[in-house]
Amino acid sequence: MESSRFSRTLAAGAAIVAAVSLAACGGTGGSAGVDDKVIEFWDPYPQYAEGSDWHEWVVDCAPEGYTIKRQGMPQNDVLNSLTTAVKADNAPDVAVLDNPFMPTAVDSGLVTDLATAGVDVDGFDENIEGPGIVDGVQYGLAFGSNALGLYYNPEVLDSAGVDPASITDWDSLNAAIGKVVDSGAKGITFSGITGEEGVFQFLPWFWGAGGDLSEPESQAAEDAQALVSGWIRNGWAPKSATTDNQSASWDLMLTGEYGFAENGSWQAAAAREHGFGMIPIPAKDGGVAPVATGGEFATLPYHKTANAEKTEAAASVITCLTSGENLARTNETIGYLAATKTARETQVRENGLWAPWVESVEGARGRTTDVGLEYETISATLSENLQAALNS
Amino acid sequence: MTSATASAPTHADARRRSRRIRPTTWAALGFAAPLIIYIVVFYVAPLAQNMSMSLHRFTRRTFVTGDAPFAGLDVYGEVLADPTFWNTLRQTLIFVVLSIVCQYSIGLALAVFFNQNFRLSGVLRGAFLVPWLLPPMISGTTWQWMMDADNGIINRIIGVFGIDPVWWLQADHSLWAVIIANIWLGIPFNLVILYSGLQNISTDLYEAAALDGCNAWQRFWRITFPLLRPVTMITLLLGFVYTLKTVDIIWIMTQGSGSSQTLATWAYAMAFGKGHSSTIRYSEASVVGTILMVIALAFAFVYLWAQRRDEEGR
Repeated sequence: MESSRFSRTLAAGAAIVAAVSLAACGGTGGSAGVDDKVIEFWDPYPQYAEGSDWHEWVVDCAPEGYTIKRQGMPQNDVLNSLTTAVKADNAPDVAVLDNPFMPTAVDSGLVTDLATAGVDVDGFDENIEGPGIVDGVQYGLAFGSNALGLYYNPEVLDSAGVDPASITDWDSLNAAIGKVVDSGAKGITFSGITGEEGVFQFLPWFWGAGGDLSEPESQAAEDAQALVSGWIRNGWAPKSATTDNQSASWDLMLTGEYGFAENGSWQAAAAREHGFGMIPIPAKDGGVAPVATGGEFATLPYHKTANAEKTEAAASVITCLTSGENLARTNETIGYLAATKTARETQVRENGLWAPWVESVEGARGRTTDVGLEYETISATLSENLQAALNS
Repeated sequence: MTSATASAPTHADARRRSRRIRPTTWAALGFAAPLIIYIVVFYVAPLAQNMSMSLHRFTRRTFVTGDAPFAGLDVYGEVLADPTFWNTLRQTLIFVVLSIVCQYSIGLALAVFFNQNFRLSGVLRGAFLVPWLLPPMISGTTWQWMMDADNGIINRIIGVFGIDPVWWLQADHSLWAVIIANIWLGIPFNLVILYSGLQNISTDLYEAAALDGCNAWQRFWRITFPLLRPVTMITLLLGFVYTLKTVDIIWIMTQGSGSSQTLATWAYAMAFGKGHSSTIRYSEASVVGTILMVIALAFAFVYLWAQRRDEEGR
């Protein structure tokens, strides 16, 4: 008798513990997104921790009565986490998405119309905002853009007798790299890594050869592949370019052994420290090749249970980061060039770094602007063919 | 639980065939409940979800809206008809078999060596555990550096012997590169388990064998190896499962590009939109995930069968 009573008590106790612990799990999961006065802000800049300029700048944009909870995470994770969060209806109030993700985010219904929510989207440059506009509706606002350029190390070029001004097309570029390598230095670093990052670096050569995204397997693609894979085959570029991402290829440039590096405007400050110069990427037959707009879009994610007041507050956070004088400051904090001419002029006036980049940013093209959701397939084709060429 | 508390435990024997659940059964269920709930929530539910995703056609949109159309076994058919699948399966098998064979034989050799208990053997054995303790992020990156085609230390070393530098991480060679790194990574695991197995073999046997005039080679093949059989089987099973699902070391070294793509890295790339294409393919990834589980399960059954045969034979 006693033992059976004891076991019943134990069993009931165990069941209660199990039920309570399960309820506790459910409780924390559900309550995360429910605080009406906390604006959740996701961005792909995990390198800016609490206390950094960017973090403080964002948090200071909280409207009266609200606080901003900012969370930085790797580029791909923002989109994937947003996908599951929208499904579970605990999406953040503002999400900053990399620009090639915009079509899929719109197609999946992850993000909402900014103008309806009250974000001021007028007066921004069309080429930069293109990826955020789908079927005439603006779902994301890019505060600025970065761009790719061709950095050079003047010391290496001097001792090889190369004048960077002589580089105007692919032939003169190849001649210059050849001279640098003949002088005993190393040629050029770039990122040919599998996936979007490698494609981003490949596009200026593809477009510079007259390529069109609607035909990713055209002659232009082959010409561009031949150019960059030729560098590796000649020993002008490191073989690790096939697996290097952009920061790894920049690290190689920082050794001081290389003459050139294809890299982004986000390295402009570091480049100045090391005394590197920059020229725009040349097109095949002369002139400046179009580069792809780089950078992110601020979006308002979809919530099944809408809260108009909170959406308005979230919209005002985006407006705060992108309007008036703040726009230049936002871009300066993150190292981008602003998406309006006035703010860009302020940046160029106040920071000597930017003058050589303006032309590239103004001539840059959105990757998804014309082809939309198709870009995912196009980019995959470009990436596969590029990898095959680089590895041959 | 309330009904269990209410039912009085009278004439339990007489009620054996009664429909009412006996209090002791309730108690047993109560004890089992935490485990059952745990298994259902953390094992059965994700597995069922995985199966369900492989039977529906998911895109990012239908994942969010929840109205992915039922596709039956269509996605399985598509994956199996894809030449990439068979090529990836072949690479996976090469990766797994070569990794395990080398890890096991090197691990066993080291275990036998350290079983001599010479001076400093403890310290040296500890040193061999380092690969196990390092985060894969660090060991993967280090291998990537060492295998760098232009500046890697491996190419410099083989250059001393007059061998031409190898482009380790190039598409055609990358499978061999990740196998080498993975063998290094798996040796400590094999060493530790096999070493503890060796400790359980009585030294009397070796003494008797020595008296009978067995040499070291015979002692190994006649005593050590047969007596280590149960430990060997579990080591190989665990090694198989670990190696089959390896993503980290491969991903860090090559992003699964070229010949280093295995079923696990392929599934990872499709599920999260990594690799060449940023399009997420939940359904295809679930199909590959399910196939991986079936392969692992099949191997586990082989293990159980071998173990049972072993016990019956005794």
